[in-house]
Amino acid sequence: MDQLSNLGDGFLTVLTPMNMLWVVVGALLGTAVGVLPGLGSAMAVALLLPVTFSLDPIGAFIMFAGVLFGGLFGDSISGILMNTPGNSTAIAGTIEGHRMAKSGRAAQALATSAIGAFIGGIVSSILVVFFAPSLADLATLFGPEEYLALAVFAFVAISAVVGESFLRGLAALVIGLAIALVGIDAMSGASRFTGGQPELFDGIDIVVITVGLLALGEVIAVAARRGTEKENALIPSSGRLWLTRREFRLALPAWLRGTSIGVPFGVIPVGGSEVPTFLAYGAERRLASRKPGSMFGKGAIQGVAGPEAAGNATAGTAMGALLALGLPTSATAAVLLAAFRQYGLQPGPLLFDRASELVWALLASFFVGMVVLLILNLPFAPLWAQLLKVPSHYLYAGISVFAMLGIYATSSKILDLVLVLAIGLLGFAMRRYGLPVAPVLIGVILGPLAETEFRRALAVSEGDASVLVSSPIAATLYSVLVLGVAGLLIQRARARRRERARLDVAA
Amino acid sequence: MSTDQETLSRTGPAAFLRRRTGLVVPLLLLVIGVTLAIGTITMDVPSNVASPGPRLFPGVISVACVVLAAFLGADMLRRPEPERVAERPAEAPATADETGADETGAKAAADETMFRSNRPAVLGLVGTFVVFIALLEPLGWLLAGALLFWGVARALGSRRPVFDTFLSIAISSIVQLAFSAGLGLNLPPGVLAGVF
Repeated sequence: MDQLSNLGDGFLTVLTPMNMLWVVVGALLGTAVGVLPGLGSAMAVALLLPVTFSLDPIGAFIMFAGVLFGGLFGDSISGILMNTPGNSTAIAGTIEGHRMAKSGRAAQALATSAIGAFIGGIVSSILVVFFAPSLADLATLFGPEEYLALAVFAFVAISAVVGESFLRGLAALVIGLAIALVGIDAMSGASRFTGGQPELFDGIDIVVITVGLLALGEVIAVAARRGTEKENALIPSSGRLWLTRREFRLALPAWLRGTSIGVPFGVIPVGGSEVPTFLAYGAERRLASRKPGSMFGKGAIQGVAGPEAAGNATAGTAMGALLALGLPTSATAAVLLAAFRQYGLQPGPLLFDRASELVWALLASFFVGMVVLLILNLPFAPLWAQLLKVPSHYLYAGISVFAMLGIYATSSKILDLVLVLAIGLLGFAMRRYGLPVAPVLIGVILGPLAETEFRRALAVSEGDASVLVSSPIAATLYSVLVLGVAGLLIQRARARRRERARLDVAA
Repeated sequence: MSTDQETLSRTGPAAFLRRRTGLVVPLLLLVIGVTLAIGTITMDVPSNVASPGPRLFPGVISVACVVLAAFLGADMLRRPEPERVAERPAEAPATADETGADETGAKAAADETMFRSNRPAVLGLVGTFVVFIALLEPLGWLLAGALLFWGVARALGSRRPVFDTFLSIAISSIVQLAFSAGLGLNLPPGVLAGVF
């Protein structure tokens, strides 16, 4: 039981006063950005990256983990009380959660969601502790071909699943791949697309890209929507904070089912928790409709429990995939990968050997963070909702100031500020015209890796392209990918045809 | 019926393009693709480079950009925006009124103008960023940062300019203290260099 003793060491690292402070700071920040609509943990980590550069990596990553899970705890609060999900991951849980709040059971809905997030997070963290090292061992067998296959898998999967159309996902992906090309080519030393500017030789800093896309893009989108949004009323949290035994008996299986739906999705690059939360919601709804007296539509507790547990379970295993394989499966994981690179660390199989103290402290901080978050969220959810009373123009002005501060402070280059504004405008255009942002981040982060591995594989095989598919692991990945995408496209085409038939009947 | 009236009252190239502003995205993709292609062709490649050199990947991506730009452009031409809005059930007749995005727009108009941008707000916001970037080094963080906060808050609808002035100076001072004095980040002092 190597893992347990390692984890014990991790706990010893985390439970020092300074690191506990980072856990709490991260949890507070994460819950806050989760509660505020439009802000997510990916943006929060991106904004924190430049200013935490002077911290020691363990403290910084413990805080990032708190932010990551805090965002998932907090996003359901505004969804339940205001019908404005703090994040796309909370939409599924909001449907029934807000109905519960409207029927005077807001406190129970908040408790169900907080406990669900806790259970999902804890279970997936335990799985990560036990399986991530074996996954990392497996990944040491990977050569260039397998890594290329993994990157291609991530590219296609994320473009296909996130957003409304495959075409738009792919367009977003190539924008990311193109941005990542700028700079000196590491393998040949050729300067690519720098326009001869020495400031661009290192490429466009990943912090500039993430802050531009996630923070400035959102601020500009908020400006564009100004005056067109409806203000939703905040429902005061009322009712019992604790669940009755009957409610608990309804919620417990839903929490566990949600967790089991969420766990596998952390390892598949489909852009995070949106898909599993909706799957969990659908599963609960179908199960409830088999029995008489389904509460769905009137505020069913299972409709909150399932999605919330699924969301956090996905986030937990996503961290496992990131640490063991170096594979980011969502925008948040991509930003965290950027954070590792900032500190000169490369997630992947070698991380468990080279930075084992950091890895185990980080894993231990998941457990500590989850407990802290449960304490912060279970009794204090109505207090968090007060954050929604901060006028949004001051909130976004603060975000703009913080974004510009961070960008300038890392490099002291005016060019970076110009770039962040340009990328912010790009992010706005993408939001405005329905292009998903996650594929850009995955493209930027994994693009250089894919290119290097591709060229390395061909250099070893002396130009024989068949080497790319000859390894069993790579071949399996490609065939799963082709089958998955084909299945998805067929399903979407069917749904569209059904929709058209319905419209024809209506007309 | 509303759609017919709308097309009758608003025809011609201007109206055609107004419903298809999304074309900037494929246009941007096309520009990226062409830039990559030119850059790839004119790239200085060191001799003695192993066979899949630094040109292959950019070449592939530039072709992908152009192809996707074509598909995306066709998609956006075929499905202009008001149709997307009109698909939504239980909505007021689409007036496609540009001023609908204004703050004075009635609440009932809010739903169908969801996809239209509030241009003055966006311009004010982007203008603020441009001014901030231009003035950061000459003026220093304290003043430029305050200006940034003030301008963004104003563009996003704050209507208390005097209060905002104090608030923004307070915020940029706190940032200066916390991050420059506290965490040791490098912020430009600008015109206030001697004062601190």
